Amino acid sequence: MPTLIDLLARLSFLAAMPAVAGILITAGLLVVSRGWRLNVIALTLQYFFVVLLLTRLIRPEVAAVKGLIGWMICMVFYLTERRASALERSVAAEGAAPSQRWRRWVMSARASFCLLAGILVSVAAYTAVLRIPLPEVPTDVTLACYLLAGLGLLLIGLGEAPMQVGLGLLTFLSGFDLFYVALEPSLAVTGLLGAVSFLIALATAQLRVAQVVAGGEVKTT
Amino acid sequence: MIAGPLLLLTIPLVMAGIVYVLLRWASLSALLAVGTALALGIAVVTLPLDQPVHFWGERQIAMGEAVTFLGRELVLEQADRMAMAFLFLTAAGIFFLAWRVTPHSLLSPMGLGLLSLLSGALLIRPLIYAVLLIEIAAALSIFALQAEGQPPTRGGLRYLTFTTMALPGVLVTNWLLERYVLTPDEVGLLNAAAALLAVSFALLLGVVPFHTWVPAVAGDSVPLAGTFVLTISNGAAWFLLLDFLETYPWLNTHPYFGSLFSTAGLAMVVVGGLLAPAQRRLGALMGYSALVDSGGALVALGMHSRLGLTLALLSLLVRPFGLALMATGLSGLRARNGDDDSFDALRGLGWKAPWSTAVLVFGGLSVAGLPVSAGFTWRWSLCRALMPSSPGAALLLLLAGVGAMAGVWRGLSALLVRPRPPEGNRFPRVTPEGWLTAAVAIVAILACVGVGLFPQVLAPLAARLAETYTFLAP
Repeated sequence: MPTLIDLLARLSFLAAMPAVAGILITAGLLVVSRGWRLNVIALTLQYFFVVLLLTRLIRPEVAAVKGLIGWMICMVFYLTERRASALERSVAAEGAAPSQRWRRWVMSARASFCLLAGILVSVAAYTAVLRIPLPEVPTDVTLACYLLAGLGLLLIGLGEAPMQVGLGLLTFLSGFDLFYVALEPSLAVTGLLGAVSFLIALATAQLRVAQVVAGGEVKTT
Repeated sequence: MIAGPLLLLTIPLVMAGIVYVLLRWASLSALLAVGTALALGIAVVTLPLDQPVHFWGERQIAMGEAVTFLGRELVLEQADRMAMAFLFLTAAGIFFLAWRVTPHSLLSPMGLGLLSLLSGALLIRPLIYAVLLIEIAAALSIFALQAEGQPPTRGGLRYLTFTTMALPGVLVTNWLLERYVLTPDEVGLLNAAAALLAVSFALLLGVVPFHTWVPAVAGDSVPLAGTFVLTISNGAAWFLLLDFLETYPWLNTHPYFGSLFSTAGLAMVVVGGLLAPAQRRLGALMGYSALVDSGGALVALGMHSRLGLTLALLSLLVRPFGLALMATGLSGLRARNGDDDSFDALRGLGWKAPWSTAVLVFGGLSVAGLPVSAGFTWRWSLCRALMPSSPGAALLLLLAGVGAMAGVWRGLSALLVRPRPPEGNRFPRVTPEGWLTAAVAIVAILACVGVGLFPQVLAPLAARLAETYTFLAP
């Protein structure tokens, strides 16, 4: 049976522009979609593409550990959202059902706006690659870094729901991590950045639970 | 022989676990949390750095001994000693107040865990690892900030977001400085490092326009946990900034040093002073008042002198008195009002919760920097020091204090409205405060007023702390 390292070696042909395209699609999905299943799948794939690019900068073993941390985060989100959506469904079943048609229309307008904003950020990231190239990393990795950081910040700025902000923070951190491993490949920094990501995921999950317990409300004052 | 830095990291962490297990017994867990923080705070300043101390039989503690952790060095230096004592003793005070107002919250266990991480941030070398530990502490503080049964804390999320955004700048700075050592001709590297550090610390300290997390943390989180973040976590960021200035002297000689700090501080003072009186909730008022306080400290540092540094450090030492008192009052009032702290909802509550109201007002006085309060000691000295060179800044600082006080006055007016009897002439029952809460409130108020009346208690400590930093001329 092939190990994770063997698997990464076999998929190394993807570790260039195909991985960057994968990052663009998955990060874009996170920005546009509000469905938790799609978001968890997109985040899982995003970590996979980031690991592929990381194999070009650091040892595959270290990249694989980073990937495992990422997939554990996805597992935390999956379990939290699964429980939260079950609770929300049971609460919704007790109250009056909202108009599905109206809701679809609202979601569609929001998704269109997010898509447009995502495209603008992607164009800005491409321009940044030409104007402000990052040191010590190849051009395609630079593009991936800018895309992840930009779309992560967009995700944070577009909403105040804990899960959305959490996904944005993790996407932003992935972008920075991809750049920083080339500057400082030490294991201590890798471990601490992994701990930061995992704790952000736990804090986000805690706030998502609080949101469900409080009936889906997010404080606005 | 046990190395002191290792004890400062492990004891709070172990005690955090024990306090969490015993959280059901509020008094016992509070006693353990207060005792741990107090003992470590006293130990860190009293035990000598240069010689080991016999602790238990043959065992010895060497506070000054460096330890290697994950390949990085942990070392307790003279400047960090006072800083760590400040963190531990402030935490002891906050845990003591939390014992009465939020007895079963996660503040005590999480606070002890945060103390361990923030101590690590002050002890670890090189400094870039400190910002990673502060980031981990920010993520953990969400658990303390989130009130049980309440909607998710927006302030906690914003605090985490801004701290995360500060991370890349500091980490990349380290790489830029390492490259500068190899290629000293590339002065652009230093400018890039200075710019990145400026933005990162602006995010960490809540400088305008990155200030939105400050009122949010104060407004919608557990009030004393918010105070923990605004005094202890924020204090650790301040000491990290001073460590950076001490380690890299070229930052201090940068032509924009004074003007950058003064402008950033004044922006915070103006925004806080204008928005504080416009608030209609006590929590947000506390946040904007804290913004004014932080801004004043930056203005003091911008004076670029030993006196300015002393005043900035004095502001850090004094800030917990005002904010912790406000948070205690806010907690008491929220607990008796269904967690609503808007002025409309609080009308007349001052008569039913007089101690919470008194604590809130005295805390407000201190944060606004008015006489007979702890905050007055440094704010008045700063205004006097600024008056000859920049009278406009001194005037803005005074006006911002008046603005914060106007907000407190509006809150007090709402609290002291004579409540009209509702239909049926029966007032809703409000839980009385109890003599123990009253005693804690009296102790807290006396401490705040005592520091205001006898500034010679804390001012020499701030001066001694300032002497440990050598980056500014006397």
